Amino acid sequence: METKTLVEINNLTHLFRLTKSVAIKALSDVSFSINQGEILGIVGESGSGKSTLARCLMNIHKPYKGEIFYKGINICDKKQFAANKKMLQKNRQIIFQDSNSSLNQRMSIREILAEPLEIQKLFKTAAEREEHMRYHMSFVGLEPRFLDLYPPEISGGQRQRVSIARALEMRPELLVADEPVASLDVSIQAQIINLFKHLQEEHHFTLLFIAHDLAMVEFLCDRVGVMYHGHLVELAETKELFNNPVHAYTKALLSAIPVPDPRIERGRKILEFEGVDMTVRHDFNDIGNGHFVLQDEGVTV
Amino acid sequence: MSNLLEVKNLSISFCTPYGEVEAVRDVSFELQEGEILAVVGESGCGKSVLCKAIMKLLPKNAKLKEGTIKTAGIDITAYKENEMCRLRGKLFSMVFQDPMTSLNPTIPIGNQIAEAVLVHNPKISKADLNRRVIELMELVGIQDADNRRKLYPYNFSGGMRQRSVMAMALASSPKILFADEPTTSLDVTIQAQILDLLIDVQRKLNTATVFVTHDLGVVARVADRVAVMYAGKIVEIGTAEEIFYDPRHPYTWGLLRALPAYSKGSDRLYTIPGTPPSLIDPPTGDAFASRNEYALEIDYKEAPPMFKVSETHYAATWLLSEKAPKIASPMIGGKHGN
Repeated sequence: METKTLVEINNLTHLFRLTKSVAIKALSDVSFSINQGEILGIVGESGSGKSTLARCLMNIHKPYKGEIFYKGINICDKKQFAANKKMLQKNRQIIFQDSNSSLNQRMSIREILAEPLEIQKLFKTAAEREEHMRYHMSFVGLEPRFLDLYPPEISGGQRQRVSIARALEMRPELLVADEPVASLDVSIQAQIINLFKHLQEEHHFTLLFIAHDLAMVEFLCDRVGVMYHGHLVELAETKELFNNPVHAYTKALLSAIPVPDPRIERGRKILEFEGVDMTVRHDFNDIGNGHFVLQDEGVTV
Repeated sequence: MSNLLEVKNLSISFCTPYGEVEAVRDVSFELQEGEILAVVGESGCGKSVLCKAIMKLLPKNAKLKEGTIKTAGIDITAYKENEMCRLRGKLFSMVFQDPMTSLNPTIPIGNQIAEAVLVHNPKISKADLNRRVIELMELVGIQDADNRRKLYPYNFSGGMRQRSVMAMALASSPKILFADEPTTSLDVTIQAQILDLLIDVQRKLNTATVFVTHDLGVVARVADRVAVMYAGKIVEIGTAEEIFYDPRHPYTWGLLRALPAYSKGSDRLYTIPGTPPSLIDPPTGDAFASRNEYALEIDYKEAPPMFKVSETHYAATWLLSEKAPKIASPMIGGKHGN
């Protein structure tokens, strides 16, 4: 199958200005592309810039430097964005990490789910819309009675499923999921992960899956990118990355995955990552088969 | 070994406008000195309520309907708040899921740990108190403790905050530590460090730990014994080896099979069909029956008793009855099918 690029990110850098003179570099010089119909996983510790990356992709943050192309449209450019706004807003959806703050507490679940459908005018009658909403509620394993409840009345796992339903009901082409399953129970996690797989196979949908559960990433994703302190340090196909990690940070991260086997787990040692000096110049080298690693300048494999 | 904690036939209910929620139903277990017991189950199965009930930290609408709680042979079921205050911190203490909500954002970390020390040791001299705070911070792996104790919670990362909370919990060398999902909000690498810290503390201080989690993946590293809870009941309890290598309850099978490590190369994860029952009016018979592909007729009529598998391994499923048809566990062969 021919792979088409859906999103291309070039030298994305983002700064958070704390004061006039102090700024935190949340993303530095990140470049990669997302192919149409693939599930790309992004892993890394907290504060490594994963969420900032997701937010830049969704036009929530305006990047300090660099460009993001969605189907050839430069979404960082105001004019190009405005010209394609409707298409971009409908086709890209995001699931936020914290369902507590991403759902309006004063709106019922029905209102929350109906709002994006109304804005995009996807349905002519309320009955059609209602049916669409009910269908997506059952998709994520929620009964229709939840439609009349308010976010504080339901549990964290159920709230997270409401935000997943809100994103999926738009039938997006690109879904950016920022830790969508971290707060869910194992069995519901499995349901959502299966749902993502189904959508990818049947609807050819593209997913940027941000997570810290590496076992889940290994299961779900086609390719995986590893982030560390705002840099993308390694990017490769899932099998290649898990079998043959090159960067020291990736090795440490992979060694920390818990194995559900007491005898293996008790004897296992977790590698420690000393940290590297990120201020020196690095090159993002291709070491074959689309396996990219961030290396010190001048190093070749 | 003596039983440090003995819970017998404990039932807890909450009075809510919708009716009585039976959060914990007829739970019995023992905890021995220095062991780590993991309590695993889906959210809403009563794991946190169980821990809080033992420490008597439940809200006013909770009611202890039945059962006894014994610590080191003494019955504390009827203890009043002032008696419990003396026990909390000294006999048992608790670490919660979100370290930020357990810490006061306006007080330096060192002072908060000192406060925990002072509660049970009010006459300690200032020099001794400082020494104790630094000792506790070093115990939980906070380096450069002398300088860091002056910092505030917002200066600390998630892992460091959870370490500080553990230092506070360990301030009066409790015999039992309840850890309620202590690693859920943390990254994999930090999670591994906190789990190792739990094992380390248990070895150094011989603290018995009740480790509550919904993730069976993290249990293998720390737990000596595992209790699986479903709809307010313990459905299976055994050593970590027994639960992971020879699980008997269909619910435990489901939990294990839902992990990616057990997907055996298939492209879909196993899911347990349906949702947990409402605990307002729990179904008669086995609460898991409607989601259980191996359910027998009797499951819908009568709740199964705890069947003994071995000295340490018990499971509440009719499949273990002598009359039940023999069903091969889907777990045989272990993970990855090897």
